[in-house]
Amino acid sequence: MNDTPRKTTVTLEDLLRVKRAEQPPVEFWADFERGMRAKQLAAIVEPRPWWAPFIRVGARIARYQLPVGATAILAITLFTLREYQPVNSNPVFESTVTEMGNHVVPMPVASKLDVALVMPAATSPVVAAAEPAPTAAASGSRTVQPVPSAATAVGAVSHVAMVNAELSSARYMADKMADNLAAAQASDSNLDQMLGHSLRTMDNLPPRSEPLAQISVPGESRLYRLLGGSVQSVSVGSGDSALRLNAQAARHLTERRISESDVISRLAVGGNRLTVKF
Amino acid sequence: MDAVKSLGKSLVASPERQLEANSDLAIVRRVQEGDVAAFDQLVLKYRGRVYGVVYNMTSNREDASDLTQDAFIKSFQSINRFQGQSAFFTWLYRIAVNSTLTHLRKNRLRTFFSFEKINEDDKVSAEVIAALTDNTGADQETFARELQEKLNEAMQKLSIRHRTVITLFEIDGLGHQEIAEIMNCSVGTVRSRLHYAKQLLQAELQPYIRR
Repeated sequence: MNDTPRKTTVTLEDLLRVKRAEQPPVEFWADFERGMRAKQLAAIVEPRPWWAPFIRVGARIARYQLPVGATAILAITLFTLREYQPVNSNPVFESTVTEMGNHVVPMPVASKLDVALVMPAATSPVVAAAEPAPTAAASGSRTVQPVPSAATAVGAVSHVAMVNAELSSARYMADKMADNLAAAQASDSNLDQMLGHSLRTMDNLPPRSEPLAQISVPGESRLYRLLGGSVQSVSVGSGDSALRLNAQAARHLTERRISESDVISRLAVGGNRLTVKF
Repeated sequence: MDAVKSLGKSLVASPERQLEANSDLAIVRRVQEGDVAAFDQLVLKYRGRVYGVVYNMTSNREDASDLTQDAFIKSFQSINRFQGQSAFFTWLYRIAVNSTLTHLRKNRLRTFFSFEKINEDDKVSAEVIAALTDNTGADQETFARELQEKLNEAMQKLSIRHRTVITLFEIDGLGHQEIAEIMNCSVGTVRSRLHYAKQLLQAELQPYIRR
């Protein structure tokens, strides 16, 4: 090493040449050859797995993953946009038709329940027919303006058609508001009738009275029956039968006291005697 | 098919490489026809270079040995699919580099270094070591080992792709076009990676660079 000519500059390439000089010794290759031979024989003997061809096919398909994936995403996006495209830019009014007498009134859904609540079922049947465009809902005296249906709005709608649709829609809304007002007035009259009927019914009710006043005093026989025990013992206080009953009651009382508790009372009743122990 | 073959051959850099590729193709044809022993010629011819590439990518001699063997085995198993559209050594290098990249990605967190000795007969490396130890008076063998460790550390700090490019270009001496074929990327990408890798190495090995 010392005999080598002097080199003054050292560049990165020179340093990497040092890296290139890192080489295995000769004996390394003998081991390498032996290992290589063993692996080669193992590779020849070892059967290839059944799924090996599929890996090759998968590797070929893998190069088309990006374009196929991008196409699929694009197709799904277009399909989704097409499916969820808004049907109509104009508001679609869901209306119900309420028949009041010979008058067919289209009403908004929100007011349907109110009218149904105030109207008697027998006198004014509510026909809840959800029609997106009540074009044929016309009575003898009134013609309801048609609302542009969903079919006409799908696709390309020209500007003129849209303006006409908006005008007709506004006219239709005005008619509906007038009809709703009439229906509300009619319902008010019905409400008045109902309220008057209920007030009259309340007038026919009996006069209000205090609850305690309504409780009747029980009769004498019932009173005696309820207080039979005590009254009996009191009422039979005189005579032999009364004495016998009194003695029985006293005995019964004494026996019960003795059996119920071990405490001996200072009072004792025996025959006609009453013993008091001090 | 002929046009593709001629295109593949035109990508080979020099006339020497062209001759080499032709001779390799002849050996490959023999192997494809059933002369299995002919494959040993290819192993003997390329084992050092393939090992060098893999070793400089992994900085581990045991891994490099296994990966080189695996690359030859894979090429042997797939030799019937080799159609001569590129040079055999390019194909073999591609197998080796891809196997090494897979290995490095799998064992990204497990890095053990085991170095080969610097060949003392290599004149350029001897000159470099002498120049670096001229004024310091350090022992050349000790300094060579230290320099080797620093070089490998700097290489391992590069990303796998940058390391591969710098190994194939600076250490194995392949051209941009050949590296592009092996790494399946454009020549511009190779140049870009090479430039970036050199910048990083320059920064890492600045204490050893004398201008």
